[in-house]
Amino acid sequence: MTHREGRRQTLYMYLFLSPWLIGFFVFALYPILSSLYLSFTDYDIIHPPVFVGLANYTEMFNNELFWKSVIVTLRYTVISVPIQLVLGLGFALLLHQKIPFRGFFRTAMYFPSMVSGVAMSLLWYWIFNPQIGLFNYVLSWFGIKGPAWLMNPDTSLYALIIMSLWTVGTGMILFLAGLQGVPASLIEAAELDGAGRFKTFLNVTLPMISPVLLFQLIMGAIDSFQVFTQAFVMTQGGPNYSTWFYVYNLYTSAFKEYRAGYSSALAWVLLIVVMLFTALVMKLSNRYVHYEGGGNK
Amino acid sequence: MSTIPSTGPHSPSSKVRRRRKFDAVRVMSFISLVIITFLMLLPLFFMVSTSLKSKREMLKFPPTFLPETWQWSNYKDIFDTLQFGTLYGNSLLIGGLTVVGTLISSSLAAYGFARYRGKGKNIWFMLLLSTMMLPYPAIMIPQFILFSKMNWIDTFLPLIVPAFFGSAYNIFLLRQFFTTLPDELFDAGRIDGCGEFRMWLKIALPLSGPALATVAIFAFIYSWNDLLTPVLYLSSSEKFTLPVGMASLTSSRFRIPPWHLLMVASVLAMVPIVTLFAIAQKRFVEGIVLTGIK
Amino acid sequence: MNKNRKRKTLVPMLATVMFIVLALSGCSGGKSAGETGNGGSGKGEKVTITHYTIDSEDRTFIEKLIPDFEKEHPNIKVKIEKAPYEQFDSKLQTLIAGDKSPDVTSHYGYGGFAEYYNKDMLLDLTDIIKEDGFKAADYSISEDLMKIYTVKDHTYGIPVNMYVTLMLYNKDMFDAAGLPYPPSDYEDKSWTFDKMVEAAKKMTVVSDDVAKTQYGVDFTWAERDMRPLYFGAQPYSEDTWTNGGVPSATHFDSPEVIAAYNKLFGLINTEKVSPSTEWSKSVAGQNGDPFVAGKIGMSVTGSWSLAGANDFPFKIGVAAVPWNGDNKVRSTLFVDPLLILKGSKHPKEAFEWIKFLLKNDIQEKSIDLSGGTPPVSTKAAETYYKHFDGIDPADIKNVYEGGVKYGFESYNHLVTNYSQINDMFINEMQPIETGHKTVEEVMPIIQKKITEIIKR
Repeated sequence: MTHREGRRQTLYMYLFLSPWLIGFFVFALYPILSSLYLSFTDYDIIHPPVFVGLANYTEMFNNELFWKSVIVTLRYTVISVPIQLVLGLGFALLLHQKIPFRGFFRTAMYFPSMVSGVAMSLLWYWIFNPQIGLFNYVLSWFGIKGPAWLMNPDTSLYALIIMSLWTVGTGMILFLAGLQGVPASLIEAAELDGAGRFKTFLNVTLPMISPVLLFQLIMGAIDSFQVFTQAFVMTQGGPNYSTWFYVYNLYTSAFKEYRAGYSSALAWVLLIVVMLFTALVMKLSNRYVHYEGGGNK
Repeated sequence: MSTIPSTGPHSPSSKVRRRRKFDAVRVMSFISLVIITFLMLLPLFFMVSTSLKSKREMLKFPPTFLPETWQWSNYKDIFDTLQFGTLYGNSLLIGGLTVVGTLISSSLAAYGFARYRGKGKNIWFMLLLSTMMLPYPAIMIPQFILFSKMNWIDTFLPLIVPAFFGSAYNIFLLRQFFTTLPDELFDAGRIDGCGEFRMWLKIALPLSGPALATVAIFAFIYSWNDLLTPVLYLSSSEKFTLPVGMASLTSSRFRIPPWHLLMVASVLAMVPIVTLFAIAQKRFVEGIVLTGIK
Repeated sequence: MNKNRKRKTLVPMLATVMFIVLALSGCSGGKSAGETGNGGSGKGEKVTITHYTIDSEDRTFIEKLIPDFEKEHPNIKVKIEKAPYEQFDSKLQTLIAGDKSPDVTSHYGYGGFAEYYNKDMLLDLTDIIKEDGFKAADYSISEDLMKIYTVKDHTYGIPVNMYVTLMLYNKDMFDAAGLPYPPSDYEDKSWTFDKMVEAAKKMTVVSDDVAKTQYGVDFTWAERDMRPLYFGAQPYSEDTWTNGGVPSATHFDSPEVIAAYNKLFGLINTEKVSPSTEWSKSVAGQNGDPFVAGKIGMSVTGSWSLAGANDFPFKIGVAAVPWNGDNKVRSTLFVDPLLILKGSKHPKEAFEWIKFLLKNDIQEKSIDLSGGTPPVSTKAAETYYKHFDGIDPADIKNVYEGGVKYGFESYNHLVTNYSQINDMFINEMQPIETGHKTVEEVMPIIQKKITEIIKR
């Protein structure tokens, strides 16, 4: 890259980034830095913060609820993110084909993602109802007596995972949008070369949509590390701490315990962990993710 | 390295061959789709059925599957219980502007990240991602202090203006799509004397229809269903948004909530999203994005 | 981009970040000088006070009272700021941190009075009261109630509404079982806990058919940590009630407390006359009450349940909470005070508004406007007793007066760090209810955890 070309690239990059950059400095930077500062303080919201150094950070490692929340959140993430990816891609492939009523099916599949939070939790409370719920009713066809789902500490986390799959339509439309970018000619060429459907998918389609896959993997992780609403609205972290998610713990620390400093420290530990994970995934992805343009190299 | 996608003419013979081979797969797909769709549409059924029950019927256990008497008047009552029109209008205004702002600003920033190799790009990109990694409860108070210093409390500004400066999620998403566009298109544009801004407008955007449609839908739904931000920033009732109004129906710990009315509100709240999606999903069908240009 | 170059940009960037952190740290406390009050403060101009409450019909009715107040006090404007129940606490704390503190509020969120008091959020009203010449008796508020929110002779809150604990019973279920209705008179010593269990046994039906299952009694008396008090056991040391809610000792692992919990969980696990939480939630939903579904014979609950009475598809009555030996406390009181926050810029005007809300005619008017929120004024209470169709006002009067006589204010208002205590109880006690752990196993853990929470 010549020196002049390098400067040109830099100039235009910052020009295009400028709306976001301004927004970042005006709206995002202060809250971010403020929470970083607060994480080194004892701050009860009423009185001014008092600097305590690393005390908040060292405390969490001896805090039982902190470790509970870490385990709950990791379990949720490790199970739900891969399933979401596979199902999202699967449905997208199904609906990428020419099938009658395709538009209707796509809308239906995305439907649960449009439902408001309250309606959603009411509905799932009913589906998971141990006595009259739909879920256990279906299980009873196979002679299985279903558990109490949300009310049983052994199953409540799985209930929330199952619930998260309901909104897999979001992932689906992302993949659909990605699949639109795969030229039919490439697929036909591969098929003419005698590659089977699966091989074509693996060698042509998958590399072509790998940027979307990377996006969904990273966003899936960021989102599921931050699961909050379900725990807040449906289970209040229970029963018996079985859905005591990381951000639920963070929220409780701030607004039920009045410990905004400790809560900010929790936020920054989360940020650092997720950041490391993202950087790692990005690094590995350079080898696998296929970008048409050379932009990212 | 990249290939110029050519949407060469399909040879008729290959098409016929494909159709026959795929028929069994398609039938299977169709059947499984019907089953999955049925599951996905259950909430709609549940919501509509509940929205037509009477308050007394809501208390029944086990609950009735269909309403005993179909109480259509619920759809009138919601306007007496909440200032439903006002709430709806406010939400539409905020949602609409959020979509416009997000589309413009996010696609600009995404283009910057995708097409240029400027200094410090990777650091800015990680910073972009990091803005999504701090959970909202952690920045709620400082953000409130910020908007309060700007005198934006009890206005729509905190709910709309940030969208005009890009949303990290959508910038990341669009960046992923812009990077899949072949370099050759832009090289050709540059040779034709296209300015950088024109290339964004005339090459990148038209080729990213599905991605932009997706962003529009996501931005709208996010704004439309957001409860926490409006609760925090709005204090006059006439400025409340739909989710805030709906939350008030279930806020009393001492009363039996009017679930049937809540479901009426939920059903009505879905109308703009379903409409938007039905329009936008056409963009996904429009097929091969790259056919348009040479 | 090569690695060296990257590092070179990173160092100045980190330096900048650290600089900004230091520069900003001075003003992140929220208590900065930046005065962002309600517009101009010239003389003779209107003062605006904010009343922060829950966004639900039974609370926001006060908006309708504002015009009358503003007519009486042309210099004061009242603004109602509201939030849904779930966001009440977080919004309040954010408002305070952002120097937009409301003037008047109550403990309508998870936290109670003691929490606000110990976090130093409340304004001491003693001087304002003295200066104003406010006398509780003028507003028909009993001195006992005034004492609840008085700590070491300083008053921090003035009662405005009062709920008691009562028993609601399903007359249809009593008739079907051929049982006599329980009495509403608290002095009727024949109405005992054991008798209640006996009656409950006759109404309980546990069947594989979900539609047929019903339970005799749902004894949800007070919050979980307070329940031993009904059996005469005191889990918190006496000083808790005089020092603002910080117990010097707790006794959750004492034999008396353990015995009390065994008796309570016995209703579910051994006597099998009470529903488990799991069953209740599957019948009535997350925060619902299975009584309203007509599946519970007797429900010991807060008097707020009366407000829904007109919608129940069955006939109901109210009765006294039964005797249990010589227990002094049979009713939990839930007295909601009006509080002035320390951040208030116009405490005197705020106090005028509070006095207005306590006036007899306003308290009476509020009953209808709110759809049956009980007034604290003994005078207005007479109107409240008549508010419920189909229930004899004499019975309601009996249970209210008895409830106050044998009442003790709910611990959730009086013990510090209560939102954490409550969360901890719900989670730790869950295995007892399902039979996975015994009371004897769990209580020492609770005792240990509660000690840690209180120390915070």
